[in-house]
Amino acid sequence: MIFIDLFLMLLVAYVVGFLYYGLYRNITARFQRRFGPPVWQSFADSIKFFLKEDSTSHGWMFYLGPIIMTSGAIMTLFFIPFFSTGDSFLGLSAYGNLFLVLYLMVLGPLGNALGVGAGGNPFGAMGITRGLTRLFAMELPFYIAVIAIMSLSGSADIATIASEQVTLNAFAYPLLFIAALISFVGMMGQSPFDVVGAPVEVYSGPASEFSGKFLALLMSQSAIFTFAKLVLMVHLFLGGASGFLELLLKTFILFIVVISFGAIYGRFKTPQSVDFLLKVPTTIAVVGLILATWN
Amino acid sequence: MDLTLFGLTDIVLSLKVTSLANFFAILISISFVMVMFLMPKYKLSKSFYALLALLTASLFLIVYAADYLLFFIGWEVMSISTYFLLSFTLSKKALYKYIIFAMASALSLFIAILMLYSTNHSFLYVDAKESFSAMSSVMSIAFIGFMLFAIFIKLGTIGFHYWLVDAYEESQNLFTPFLSGVVSKMGVYALMLFVINVTQPALVLAVMGVMTSVIATFKAIQEDSVKRLLAYSSIAQLGYIVTVLGVADGMGGALYHSLIHTAVKLLLFINVAGIIYVTRREKFSQLGGLLHRMPQSFVLLLIGIIALAGMPPLGGFASKFMIYTTLLDAKYLLILSAVMFSSASAFLYVYKLIYGIYLGHPTNKKLESVKEVPLSFLIPQYILSVMLIVIGTFPALVIPYFNSIMKESNLNSIVFENSATLVSSYAQYNGLVVMGAFIVVFALVLLFFVSVGSKTKEAKDRFDIAFCGEVPNEATHLHYGAGMGKELKRVGFIATILKNSSSTFYNFLAKQTEELSQILRKIYSGNLSLNFNIAIIFILILFWWSVK
Repeated sequence: MIFIDLFLMLLVAYVVGFLYYGLYRNITARFQRRFGPPVWQSFADSIKFFLKEDSTSHGWMFYLGPIIMTSGAIMTLFFIPFFSTGDSFLGLSAYGNLFLVLYLMVLGPLGNALGVGAGGNPFGAMGITRGLTRLFAMELPFYIAVIAIMSLSGSADIATIASEQVTLNAFAYPLLFIAALISFVGMMGQSPFDVVGAPVEVYSGPASEFSGKFLALLMSQSAIFTFAKLVLMVHLFLGGASGFLELLLKTFILFIVVISFGAIYGRFKTPQSVDFLLKVPTTIAVVGLILATWN
Repeated sequence: MDLTLFGLTDIVLSLKVTSLANFFAILISISFVMVMFLMPKYKLSKSFYALLALLTASLFLIVYAADYLLFFIGWEVMSISTYFLLSFTLSKKALYKYIIFAMASALSLFIAILMLYSTNHSFLYVDAKESFSAMSSVMSIAFIGFMLFAIFIKLGTIGFHYWLVDAYEESQNLFTPFLSGVVSKMGVYALMLFVINVTQPALVLAVMGVMTSVIATFKAIQEDSVKRLLAYSSIAQLGYIVTVLGVADGMGGALYHSLIHTAVKLLLFINVAGIIYVTRREKFSQLGGLLHRMPQSFVLLLIGIIALAGMPPLGGFASKFMIYTTLLDAKYLLILSAVMFSSASAFLYVYKLIYGIYLGHPTNKKLESVKEVPLSFLIPQYILSVMLIVIGTFPALVIPYFNSIMKESNLNSIVFENSATLVSSYAQYNGLVVMGAFIVVFALVLLFFVSVGSKTKEAKDRFDIAFCGEVPNEATHLHYGAGMGKELKRVGFIATILKNSSSTFYNFLAKQTEELSQILRKIYSGNLSLNFNIAIIFILILFWWSVK
């Protein structure tokens, strides 16, 4: 039974993730007065890449890198329940908690970092360094907001946090939400914090050495991971969801907000984004935390 | 066991077996056995082994002492024997640093112990709380200050770590795992005793600990020397322990992290010792690309860094989880954020560690012909890796043992359900499910990837990479290891941390001391008649004071 549940979660995340990615390309195109590709273009691309004959590997660690990354994304998905009520689509969330999910989210990228390093491309390693440097700055405001939410809900269980919100956390603690949202823009790989995976920067990014099948796997995990992150954010700040309609609606609204940031803003260099993240959202988050928990 | 010292009937030296002492004795024993595996590969003098035995004996004396006097004797023997062990390889400067700090620590500890004795005429741990409460407020603050000063030096808490990094870097590669694994743990033990038996200066510990872990993490990222990076990492990890000891129910997290840190640091330092043994190089800028030469060492280091970073399937996450939920429960929210921040920053240096040594490209032709490290380096690493995997799968396996320590120390025990589930008041997680799910998911993804599409091709050689449309060759600089973390210097906030090292402060202190002694020199000039006059005046003052 649980295996069917997990399989369905994976399927939903895969389909919705690719759908959102297609919509992202369309919406960004409209911002730039273009038409953009068909919605399922990315999906078609990934299938095409899977069937490519020419994909070069650089030894076993390189081969395993994208696989670890995909496992990390799937594990993250499995430990986040889709709904805060009911007993289907809960995945393995009963065996985990928010701390576990926060760490599982980094597991995949770190596994892939090993693959990139084993590939021997110095630009790839440079991209990883940029990514890890940006990572801790990005995590700080997010952690502060999440810790405040955990403390206020009195639980580190995701479903409990989602269902305990009388007023949505986003409105009850707006400063925490703003701080977390700024970090979240970075986590979703959107401008201004997208120097690691931006299309024009791909040559000095983690993906530089991956081709064919490897790239296809990385695209698929990105779709799954995107959906998992959106669901997590909805649970933490937007009150979770009780049905698919609500879940899709809330994740989509959040998604639109995030990609609008990406379409509007220019790109920070890595030190600039670290500097910004450690100053502005961190300050907002600290003030938010103090205001929310002061008594 | 009671010993009466030289007929002084009110001074009783005693040893006592407690669960806490046993816990640290186990850590000492594990470390000693692991280090023993390396001994055949190092041709060391007989005196080295004798001193190592003496050091180990002194560590056992420290943990099994039941009063502060015996504890102090152990502490002193430990400091001195460490000094002689370090003197085999350390440069003069590093050795000076060590001995000055070690002696400052010992003296400060002795003053604190005498202060404790002066109020109640007992050195025993059981009387310590009573003696402490009998102190005046000024005296108790001074007492806490002296005690923490001594402990912080041994732990290498930031500001007091000046001796530690050099000592770790230059010490014998056989000895560094021991130094980081258990000698630094004596600071943790002393702090635990202090918290249990005397008092808990909560906020001081929490703030000092968290500052240590954040600053040391950034320092670690910058290092080019492998052992220096690990030394800073050791400081940062002990910072977590200090932080969590600043919380009412922090003992569980502190014990757990001590266990994990001992295992991880033994593993990492032994791994690095193996690399240095084989390649004779210890800088990231001289290493690289060893993955295909030594795959076993690579996998073992990987297990070590996963545990060090606190990643879920392994034991590191269990202790991090304990620490986080304890801090959350105590409402130390900003401190928890900073701890998690430092933990996230640590990903950068653990990646540097594995990339700089094993991944990328070899920086030298000689590295292309090295062989896997000898078996005596691999065996202890395998044992420790298995230990970390087992703890990761069954994170609550050690909880009943910790609870016996809690019970003896009159602390709240940790909830125990089954050995796979680690429970805290905020959340719980099941290590077996996490480990099992990861293995199953990984296997399925691997199976899917192998079966779908066409077969992948192996690259022709290591130069067969996407390189801006050019073909790199031997002369192209392809290893990025030493450059990692340089970008941080361009971030204002972090650059400030990195620029202001503690050496600036200690140099300032040395200069002030020198100037002060210049003034003293004017009075104490070496002129006999002047000295005689000063002595007479001093005696007169004493006489007048005693009559009054």
